[in-house]
Amino acid sequence: MKRVTWLALLVAVALVVSLTAPAISQQKVVKIGDLGSKVGVFEGYGKYQTMGIQLAVEEINAKGGVLGHRIEVISEDDDTKPAPAIRKAEKLILQDGVKLLIGAVSSGSTLAMMDVTKKHKTIHWNSVSCAEFMRTTKFHKYYFSNQPDSRQQANGLAKYILDKMGKKTYIFYTDYAMGQSDARQFKTALEKLGGEVVGVAGAPLDTKDFSPWFGAINQSNPDVLFLAFAGTDSLRLMTQLHSFGMTKKYKLAGIDCFLLQQDLQAIAEPMEGFVQLNHFSAYNPDPNMQAFNQKFKKKFNVDANIAAGAYDAVYFWKAAVEKAGNFDPDQVSAAHEGLCIDNTHIGRQCIRKEDHQVVMDMHLYRVEKGKNLPIARIDGKDAIGEPLVGQDPLKGFTWEIKKKN
Amino acid sequence: MSRVLSWRSALVLAALVALPALPFMSQFYLLLAFDALLFGAIAMSLDLLIGYTGLVSFGHAAFFGLGAYSTAILLERGIVSLWVCLGFAALVVGLYALLVSYFSTARRGIYFALLTLVFAEVVYTFFRYTQTFGGSDGIQGVPPAQLLPGVAIDTPLSNYYAVVVYLALAYVLCRVFVTSHFGKVLVAIRENEDRARFLGYNVQRYKIAVCMISALLTGIGGALYPGRSAFATPDLMLWTVSGEFIIMVMIGGLGTLAGPIIGGAFFVLLQEQVSSYVDWYFMVIGLVLVFIVLFMPRGLLGFRRMLGFGQWRATT
Repeated sequence: MKRVTWLALLVAVALVVSLTAPAISQQKVVKIGDLGSKVGVFEGYGKYQTMGIQLAVEEINAKGGVLGHRIEVISEDDDTKPAPAIRKAEKLILQDGVKLLIGAVSSGSTLAMMDVTKKHKTIHWNSVSCAEFMRTTKFHKYYFSNQPDSRQQANGLAKYILDKMGKKTYIFYTDYAMGQSDARQFKTALEKLGGEVVGVAGAPLDTKDFSPWFGAINQSNPDVLFLAFAGTDSLRLMTQLHSFGMTKKYKLAGIDCFLLQQDLQAIAEPMEGFVQLNHFSAYNPDPNMQAFNQKFKKKFNVDANIAAGAYDAVYFWKAAVEKAGNFDPDQVSAAHEGLCIDNTHIGRQCIRKEDHQVVMDMHLYRVEKGKNLPIARIDGKDAIGEPLVGQDPLKGFTWEIKKKN
Repeated sequence: MSRVLSWRSALVLAALVALPALPFMSQFYLLLAFDALLFGAIAMSLDLLIGYTGLVSFGHAAFFGLGAYSTAILLERGIVSLWVCLGFAALVVGLYALLVSYFSTARRGIYFALLTLVFAEVVYTFFRYTQTFGGSDGIQGVPPAQLLPGVAIDTPLSNYYAVVVYLALAYVLCRVFVTSHFGKVLVAIRENEDRARFLGYNVQRYKIAVCMISALLTGIGGALYPGRSAFATPDLMLWTVSGEFIIMVMIGGLGTLAGPIIGGAFFVLLQEQVSSYVDWYFMVIGLVLVFIVLFMPRGLLGFRRMLGFGQWRATT
């Protein structure tokens, strides 16, 4: 008898499932891809990118989705290398049929991905990588970015460093696409404003011991040490600089995404006084930023950070799709151009038509007791620089150190 | 048919040719099949060294990467003929392989492995830091190569057939070598190097020759890669890639030629599938390797034969 009851129950459950399933799946689905580092040196950024996308998608789906389609996110890991990034981008586009691809985290992977999104005409949003090639030589019509690239960051930071921190700067960078790009643009911006770069050095990505470079830094006797690193590289570098007494000796400044807010608490002492340009901080009293942080924290129980970029990217795409009235990549791409969205974490953001770079304000922050506290707001129009689509950003640039008396 | 090409091999080749006609073979699966067959072919060429001669090369990624860079450099500069690219890659890889094999084969065992590793690291570092070749970002966004003027290999299908032709030719070449007197001497060297020398064979010359053949086949495989991926980066030459090649050979079965092809394809497909579900996919691949080493020491092909589906034909 007992067996019969169980059997009846099973049949009932199966009936309910089979009757409700079609109702649930009746809403059409549009897939979007999330590609980035889920392990390794940039693991944190990749995971927060996924969270930002998830939050936006959840909100949009709750309001009926995009053009009546429920959004489904497919996440993939690119191993922080170009070859897997290409393979996964192809999988997402050709196999899963995503209409939007967000990623990658590492600039090298993003640059490789751009060939795939260009070839297969897929809308591509970048919200973490910042090498300058993406909106110059590698730019294509399906590519968009709301991550301030190296030029924007350098323009925003250089003046503050010269005015408030010191005239002589040593540039130390992670020797791959992102770090090289940041170092180049910062050197250019600083020298343009009359500052002096007293030395430049690059350390390979995922370096374990930075001490071999410290002698050269000390010898050049800078006022400011500008650091273009990210992820676990930044953590190791700061710990080692601190143990060599160099965090007290020099004023320190760095790029956006040098360290996530979540990592700051662990190395609050070495990071004390560190100045960086950033487009989000959970400790910024700005009401827009607090509002975003609140909903992010409510869902994931952690403060928001660079994830705000991926979140906004989904909303930009949604707005463009609705403007175009369909998912056709050419029409959606055209609809993106000049598009603005309001009430984001940084207020109004607009996509510049010429190079598809989002114009938005940014803040300069100083780390105090493990918190990124705002010290200045930089107008997006002042930092973005003129469009340079198709132009080689390396033209005329030299690493040569111009000594001043 | 013959000792070089069996009916079974011809059947497999016919199946590979017909594969794109299957209804589920999307563009993505064609690209995946490209990777699987390319790395399978490279594992097979490495098998000449590991399986037949007993030389464990830890530097094969450099041959692969040099082949890829040779093509990418020409394509980037507008020289798009596939034949010129392959010829240039063969020249560059050949010269490098001659240097590496001359010095490495002077030593045995772990010293040989270490020397190949060190040479490969030098090449990796050179490309990693040379901005002329794009530094750490490598050369990206290269145009497709052309079979004939105006006939570009620019679709997943054309790339797939290019790699099938390469695999077939490489397999026939390898079979010719291993079934010839040359191949028997290689096995003799693997089994007892001193005895082979006492029998009058110039052991180092044989080792250099097999290193060159293996390197050239790997380099040609590398030369096909930018046509599919549009880039060549220093990552392709990293020592971990050499490690992956060795794993592919071990998974497939040492000294079988066909085994490493299966091993390479299996590795690529496993990596592709597992990495979509698990972040730490290398742990899964590691566990698979441990399982194979412990329970299937002759690899996938050997296991199949142990079960009685075929005769074990490794060169033991």
